[in-house]
Amino acid sequence: MNPRLSRRAAAKGFAAAVAAPLALGACARDKTDHPTSVTQAQIDEAMRTPTEITFWTWVPGIEKEIALFEEAYPAIKVNLVNAGQGASHYSKLRTALRAVNGAPDVAQMEFQMIQSFAITEDLLDLRPYAMEGLEEKFVDFAWSQATGTGGEIWAIPQDTGPMGMLYRNDIFEAHGIEVPATWDDFAAAAEVLHGADPEVYLTNLAPSQGAFFAAMLWQAGADPFAGSDGADLRVDLESEAAVKVASYWGDLAERGLVSTDADFNDQWYQALNRGKYATWVAPAWAPTFLTTAAASTSGKWRVAPLPQWEADAPPVSSNWGGSTSVVLSTTEKEIPAAVFAQFINTDRECIETMAFEQSLYPPTRELLEDPEFTGDQLEFYGGQEVNALFAEISDTVSPDFQWAPFQDQVYADFTATVGTAFTERTDAVAALGAWRDRIVEYAEYQGFEVTGS
Amino acid sequence: MTAETMIERPRTGRARRTGRRSGRSTVLTVGMLAAAAYFLLPLFWLLVSSSKTSTDLFSTFGLWFSGDFALFDNIGRTVSHDGNVFLRWMGNTLLYAITAAGGGALLASLAGYGFAKYRFRGDRTMFMIVLGAVMVPTTALAIPTYLLFSQIGLADTPWAIILPSLINPFGLFLMTVYVQSAVPDSLLEAGRIDGAGEFRIFFQVTLRLLAPGFATVLLFTLVNTWNNYFLPLIMLNDPDLYPITVGLARWQGQAAAAGGASGDLIPLVVTGSLLSVVPLIIAFLFLQRYWQSGLMTGAVKQ
Amino acid sequence: MTATATARKARAEAPARRGRTNRSGRAGYLFVAPFMIVFAAMFLVPLIYAAYFSFFREQLVGGTVFVGFENYTRAFGDAELWTGIGRVGLFFLLQVPVMLVVALFLALALDTGMVRLSRFARLSIFVPYAVPGVIAALMWGYLYGPDFGPFAQLAEKIGASAPDFLGADLMLGSLANIVFWEFTGYNMVILFAALRAVPGELYEAAAVDGAGPWRTAWSIKIPALRGALMVCLIFSIIGSFQLFNEPNLLQGLAPTVIDRAYTPNLYAYNLAFVGQEYNYAAAVSFILGMVILVGSYVFMFLTNRRSRS
Repeated sequence: MNPRLSRRAAAKGFAAAVAAPLALGACARDKTDHPTSVTQAQIDEAMRTPTEITFWTWVPGIEKEIALFEEAYPAIKVNLVNAGQGASHYSKLRTALRAVNGAPDVAQMEFQMIQSFAITEDLLDLRPYAMEGLEEKFVDFAWSQATGTGGEIWAIPQDTGPMGMLYRNDIFEAHGIEVPATWDDFAAAAEVLHGADPEVYLTNLAPSQGAFFAAMLWQAGADPFAGSDGADLRVDLESEAAVKVASYWGDLAERGLVSTDADFNDQWYQALNRGKYATWVAPAWAPTFLTTAAASTSGKWRVAPLPQWEADAPPVSSNWGGSTSVVLSTTEKEIPAAVFAQFINTDRECIETMAFEQSLYPPTRELLEDPEFTGDQLEFYGGQEVNALFAEISDTVSPDFQWAPFQDQVYADFTATVGTAFTERTDAVAALGAWRDRIVEYAEYQGFEVTGS
Repeated sequence: MTAETMIERPRTGRARRTGRRSGRSTVLTVGMLAAAAYFLLPLFWLLVSSSKTSTDLFSTFGLWFSGDFALFDNIGRTVSHDGNVFLRWMGNTLLYAITAAGGGALLASLAGYGFAKYRFRGDRTMFMIVLGAVMVPTTALAIPTYLLFSQIGLADTPWAIILPSLINPFGLFLMTVYVQSAVPDSLLEAGRIDGAGEFRIFFQVTLRLLAPGFATVLLFTLVNTWNNYFLPLIMLNDPDLYPITVGLARWQGQAAAAGGASGDLIPLVVTGSLLSVVPLIIAFLFLQRYWQSGLMTGAVKQ
Repeated sequence: MTATATARKARAEAPARRGRTNRSGRAGYLFVAPFMIVFAAMFLVPLIYAAYFSFFREQLVGGTVFVGFENYTRAFGDAELWTGIGRVGLFFLLQVPVMLVVALFLALALDTGMVRLSRFARLSIFVPYAVPGVIAALMWGYLYGPDFGPFAQLAEKIGASAPDFLGADLMLGSLANIVFWEFTGYNMVILFAALRAVPGELYEAAAVDGAGPWRTAWSIKIPALRGALMVCLIFSIIGSFQLFNEPNLLQGLAPTVIDRAYTPNLYAYNLAFVGQEYNYAAAVSFILGMVILVGSYVFMFLTNRRSRS
């Protein structure tokens, strides 16, 4: 045996072994080439060709919308996969995108995650796929959240969460509290209520609910990541608006006027049912959520607009939650995938089914102006036309709010800094600075070029 | 102790155990029952909660029954929800757990026997590598593992759950120690002199002696696989392949889902949790009886 | 009896051992092969791949580069990681001795045969092991509840206030209680099974010497359990240092107490799944593995020395 040959063979084998995982990563990163323009003829052709696409979503009952799509396009079959909810959905999606196969063609995605998947080039820009006239169908803020800084259409909005305030009418009446119109009123009411009944808090400030705090920043006009583009990241948490929000909630927490319980767990459900919180500052999906989560309190709740910073200025709201349909860039069936994403979120029958049967709050102007939708009277809220109120609020949501390209990390860091300051009753404004520092440190580590305010 | 004494008096252990049962201690009994109460308390909460409607669940005292007794109604809803998917998850769990437990116990017995009774090159190293590998937590390594599994087409198949569950390093450890104490070398020598092959000796003579250890490893692997959450969560995308743990977590996620009509899922999660524990308790009862009858090793040298 | 004869013969044939070893060496390989092959494919290869992974750095923007030991040097200077390791070390010292002593005591009590309803007691104590960690945390999370948990409500009825089980001061203890609840029965069963394997002659000898149950336990049973206790201990070291499930689940109830690096394993998980720092997460996992390995080794070394002296 020639030792040199064997050594060379070994070296080759070693090199291959070393390169293999890189290649594995590389091929997952190597997104399929997608056309930059598509003709209507190509679309028609593709929609007549028998194709199967995979759709990952957690929305219960979405089979109905899929059936409507398959009825309209009999050649296309949609495989529905519920791969989990929230964090587990996204981590599975990320894992599948890295692997050789297994990623879906279309996926459910919340607004705040769009930038996080766009930065890794995992989303397909839908502009070439006959999206003309779509913009006008959606409320401004929903559309602006679904598009990129370069005008890319990353997603088709499906539901939204314009912010309002759910309150316990019975508790308010028992203590003679007026529904607060401004945050100053709100703080005063918090003091009165907690003073009158130490077991009850005006609201709960969940320390790990970064999404709520983001909605508060948004309403106040703080837009911490505005101006970020690709590898350039701008982080501004020193703005007057951001400091105002942090010090307002930090003050309420520090004085013990609001509770700081973690939300969406057993304790929190108990608290809602037993009247520990007199309000829930929450978005348009909350009313339906509450009807099952706090079923024992039916009839006691009402809904009001979000309290305002300025008493006289036109009302401003923001958004918490809601989601979209995205097409993943790994797909090789871009046309059917894009048509599907558009269809289920714009077809009249689909959006009606979503609004009436799945209780998803619609982003489409069409439904928000439809009396059949807005006129719905909910017994749980004493017969109030809750949808109508949120439709009005929906119009007042500012379209100017940009998400970080790693929003899950931003939320985690929020809990570790500002959220912790809330529970420990320490300086929330100082914590805001710590939050910023953590974001910057992480961003630099991930290769971003960070600029301050 | 020598082989002679062992062989000549195989029943001593049993005799002393039965003979000792005369005295009962009230102090010990009360102590044990207090311990039992502590260990059963959370499960009592689970039972009580399973009997409540979602309204009562969040508005009444948790450690006692109140309101409508909805246990059977809850069970019915749990089983029938979403096209009997609960039964499917239960079936998957059974399949994964039983396959992994049977296969895992067999592999551990074979290997434990091999490590305990044979000297061969690299035996210690291999044994140490197995134990050393347990030291590295695999939680954060799920992604590399998934990438490899997906490369060879294992991801999102039952094999992605069953194959890794076959390896129970603790089972190997236990079996090795067990073989050392339960299988006398003399027995193997006898077999060899009678001209039996190594594998015939194992399957015809030794395996019977290993029954209690085998049952122990079987039980532990069964429980591990039954309760496995992280591995299937990462490996499986298709809900039709989910085991019960991942399925229940999915319902819980849906129940807490922000947005949409999640339905009245919380009682189903609680009732489903209760139902998922019951088969294991039955399995344990069954295997416990097995141990008691299989204790011929009581006479074997330590 | 042939067996007796065989045993004598075996001793007489001692010089022939070498030949036997060779012949059976092959058989040894065959016995361990199925386990080792599955082990290599399912554990070792992914582990090696992950180790390889830990020498790279993949950024959200800028791609992947080979960085050598950079992830490891970063980990050595990472205060969050070492705080977490210190915390699980404390957890180990706090929880494991209590759990093993109680498990040992329960096993000994059962073995005396002096307990009424012993089968019921044994089953009750072991049952928590059969409860998935997800469900265990759900149940204890409820019981710990600061407002509506039964302890809090009972305390309120007598005008006292229950301790805040989910607060920063008590959290480690509350976690220790859950782990205690889950695994005491498991350890008890291992020890109980080992006790049943203690040869009866030893007890007879002790009875002849007039030893009472306490002395029998102390001077015969416990020494006989040394091996089993070592097994329980080593696996408790691993379990403590890899603590993940319970804090991960209680995080939903106390998100600011259990931060992302509360335990090192939780930290690695969050690095990988929240921060997408897969490479660094792999390095952290291996460092934790090394810490456990060294810990177990030191521990075994110490106990061996003590038992010899």
